[in-house]
Amino acid sequence: MKAFEEKWTAWLDDQLSGRELSEFEASLPDKAAAQAEKADAKKLSELLKRELTAYPLKNEEFFSHQLREKIVQESGEEARERARRSPTSSWWTIPRLLWAGTASLAVFLICTVLVVRQERPAEESQYLTQILNARVDPVVSPNATVSIFEVKQDHATVLWTEGLQSLPADYAAK
Amino acid sequence: MHRSLAVVIPVLVMTMTTAPASQAAETVWSGLVIAENVSQPQPAPSELTRIEGLLKRFFGYNQFQVIGQSQKILKTGQEDWLATSKFFGLHVDARGETQGGYVLNLKLYKEKELLLETETKLSKRSPLVIKGPQVGGGQLLLVLVVQ
Repeated sequence: MKAFEEKWTAWLDDQLSGRELSEFEASLPDKAAAQAEKADAKKLSELLKRELTAYPLKNEEFFSHQLREKIVQESGEEARERARRSPTSSWWTIPRLLWAGTASLAVFLICTVLVVRQERPAEESQYLTQILNARVDPVVSPNATVSIFEVKQDHATVLWTEGLQSLPADYAAK
Repeated sequence: MHRSLAVVIPVLVMTMTTAPASQAAETVWSGLVIAENVSQPQPAPSELTRIEGLLKRFFGYNQFQVIGQSQKILKTGQEDWLATSKFFGLHVDARGETQGGYVLNLKLYKEKELLLETETKLSKRSPLVIKGPQVGGGQLLLVLVVQ
């Protein structure tokens, strides 16, 4: 058996009919007050239905912008993840490697040329022939001496001996 | 891009390989020369043309005659050879190639008697002249030139 409150709610919603309706209305102590209350309840219900509809989205452009950014961000992350996982997609492609190698070689050659040019002054000192040592047999020529001359004008070196034993003209024979 | 690479790479390789190739075998001329003062001097032999002025100024003679000579092509820088006249012999022992020349050990013999020994770093662009003993009215000179 339904409680009074349940029947009251059902009556307000016009859910009672037939014998149940007539019995409930007969049980009401003040039917006119109850009808007034029912009318108020209906008004309130209609007001709520009207006022509590879905609120329209006024900043839809901002929302769609955020949505697009989110999509782009997720797409970028996916692309990066794919690139990270894929060993073939790299900055070091074959042509780039070749260019890098060629450029390194060129830099090496330029450095080598510069270093060689800087060493040129040192080479100049070795431009002339150098006498490392000289010795005259002291038994044959006990008073002989040796001097070294670098004739830069003629780019030549002269080893000058003095005091060697003189020989007769016959020794000039071929 | 591949075409330009095909040009650049061979050029670089050729540039790198050209320098060692320039160190080819060279010829060393060694001569025994008698320098004299004569009234009618003979022209100097072609091997001495390059240093004729130096010889005249430095030694004060006007004629230079080659009495013995040798031309040796140095391939390894370790060769040895002999330039001889009737009484003199110049033994040259190359002891390696250096930057711009060769290290040579030189021995001057009068018949079998060692008169002079010297070790020199002969530059490819700088001749070496050695004043030897007085011979009659002239002077024995030893000349080495990288040709």
